[in-house]
Amino acid sequence: MMAEADMGIWNRTAECLDPEERAQQQLERLQSTLNRAYRNVPFYRNRFQTRGFDPAQIESFADLPLIPFTEREHFSENYPYGLFAVPLRDIVRIHTAPGTALHPTVSGYTKQDLAVWRELVARSLSAAGVTAHDVLQIVLDPGLANWGRDYKDGAETIEAGVIPLTMLPHEKQLMIICDYKTSVLITSPSAAIQLLHLLFQTNLNPNVLALKTLVLVGEPPDPSMRAQLAEQLHVKTWVHYGLSEVPGPALAFECASRYGLHVSEDHFLPEIIDPETGQVVPDGEGGELILTSLTTRAFPLIRFRTGDRARFFTDACPCGRTLRRMEWFPERSDEMVVVRGVKLHHRQILLLLERVLGVLPETYRLLAVRQELEDYLEVWLAIDDAIFSDEIKELERLIRKIRLELGQELGVPVNVRLKERSSLGAPSSVPSIIDLRSKDSR
Amino acid sequence: MLRIRNLRCYYGRIQAINGVSLSVRAGELIALIGANGAGKSTLLQAISGLLPNWQGEIQLHKESLRGLNPPAIVQRGISLVPEGRMLFPPLSVLDNLRLGAYLRYRKRQRELIDQDFETIWKLFPVLRERIKQPAGTLSGGEQQMLAIGRALMARPQLLLLDEPSMGLAPLLARRILETLVQLRDQGLTVLLVEQNARAALQVADRGYVLETGRVVLEGSAADLLADQDLKRAYLGRDYREFYDGRS
Repeated sequence: MMAEADMGIWNRTAECLDPEERAQQQLERLQSTLNRAYRNVPFYRNRFQTRGFDPAQIESFADLPLIPFTEREHFSENYPYGLFAVPLRDIVRIHTAPGTALHPTVSGYTKQDLAVWRELVARSLSAAGVTAHDVLQIVLDPGLANWGRDYKDGAETIEAGVIPLTMLPHEKQLMIICDYKTSVLITSPSAAIQLLHLLFQTNLNPNVLALKTLVLVGEPPDPSMRAQLAEQLHVKTWVHYGLSEVPGPALAFECASRYGLHVSEDHFLPEIIDPETGQVVPDGEGGELILTSLTTRAFPLIRFRTGDRARFFTDACPCGRTLRRMEWFPERSDEMVVVRGVKLHHRQILLLLERVLGVLPETYRLLAVRQELEDYLEVWLAIDDAIFSDEIKELERLIRKIRLELGQELGVPVNVRLKERSSLGAPSSVPSIIDLRSKDSR
Repeated sequence: MLRIRNLRCYYGRIQAINGVSLSVRAGELIALIGANGAGKSTLLQAISGLLPNWQGEIQLHKESLRGLNPPAIVQRGISLVPEGRMLFPPLSVLDNLRLGAYLRYRKRQRELIDQDFETIWKLFPVLRERIKQPAGTLSGGEQQMLAIGRALMARPQLLLLDEPSMGLAPLLARRILETLVQLRDQGLTVLLVEQNARAALQVADRGYVLETGRVVLEGSAADLLADQDLKRAYLGRDYREFYDGRS
């Protein structure tokens, strides 16, 4: 067993709580969260009432299946403030994230909520060995800008020097990594690979970097990619799991044992279900991760279907934390596709296209592609009456407009191609995003 | 130390407590706050055995208190300082304190009891001065001290208090609450029910907010003191203080 200092335990009382105490604490917090959601959020009250469910029915975790799931579309349906459980005047921060429909997801935080996030991020960074001596840099795509703020706050809590998220090209980011002696980098696996690539292109020796810790967020890294990053950048890599829409990053994190991610169970109650049947699976089996917030005041989440696939480990971790660990799988159990850590849904893309074009395109393809290690979204549109113009300039203008609108809304780079209808085949019956990034190209 | 799960209590057909879970760890001072009729006193009565027909689970040191009568619960180490003190007005201060230890007299712990008197005199010197005075002639603050002293005479591990500051001038109320901090620091575990939420949270480690028989909020006392929702509801702040043009 490693020395405690090596394990970077930030909050011993919370992270190493006796499992029986933990269960009691979770039950108390779950019950009060349900009571608050029922009392303060009409959406939850109505959903509970139509199912004849009363929060007082929850006597143990075995009763959880009585509670209806919350899904991503509920966020857009209740845009902007419909899911808030406190009056707007108690909100101190408002975040917007891309959703699954035209309306984005809006989440709010009270002062206490922000304190919880600072704690959760500090906990996760501390487990990765980050201390006040580190210079920490955040490089994320605009779609994950909210995480940038949370990581900044959490890193400042452990008094690391923070270079906050700024939207700079990777060349500039690399310059900062070199010149500012960044020791901790928080980024998505795809951005990390690009930076590595750039490093070699510019003939920089990784040995000149002060970098020692690489925190990978947004998507589970491919093991071979992770090994490559660790070896070629001479860093230790760590994975954090978070939710991009709500409410933040790092709600599960790796410890020095690097065997699964510890879920911060004192603030979020995790469950694994079979995505087909909605039934909770036996401990240790894989399925869809469900999260319920336990301490959140402003934006409670009740049995939220994350779409992420995971499984729980059942054994204790040698690091001493009693927070349950999960393995995070790259596949998803919903129709979303993750590009540069940002989750994309075809419905939202189509609604955006409709807004730009005035009509819903009839024949199109949505592709997640990778070119020269760079991931982006590619939209193929068949030229039809609605789009056609005999002026090339006009068509170019349209392409530019779509690229700009989509890029702004989604927070990832977008490429648009106009194609002859015949080359696209039949009108799109399966509208989902096709992932062309095969594993070997990574 | 104390663990409550899914507690339900009824007064006739009225459900006063509806699925409450809460816990008090050894050495903690926990505040239970809420409006009139929220179920706070009911909860203390259920714990101390005065309201026997509860459902759910109440455990002290992982052992259920189900079916135990109030004397048996006192023997397990839980003492209640009831709402309105409930002293014996014609009896002297000394006799009131003796009554608090009556289970122990039967166990022939006379010497230990004498030591405990000393502790009480140290905690509340004024009681020693009034040792022979009938309890009914004491001031409100002194009566509350006596009620606490009487509960301590049973040598509890867990002290339950129901509205100890009720009817007291603010300064006296604070003195009483500070005594609880002192007792907590000496190792006693305290569960405090108070309508005066601000005063209670200022001395407590953690708190639970009860509303119509359910817990709607729990957390560290500092957290709850800063909670805007709670301030509006229980901390007696003027509503206008919060109005700043936002809806």
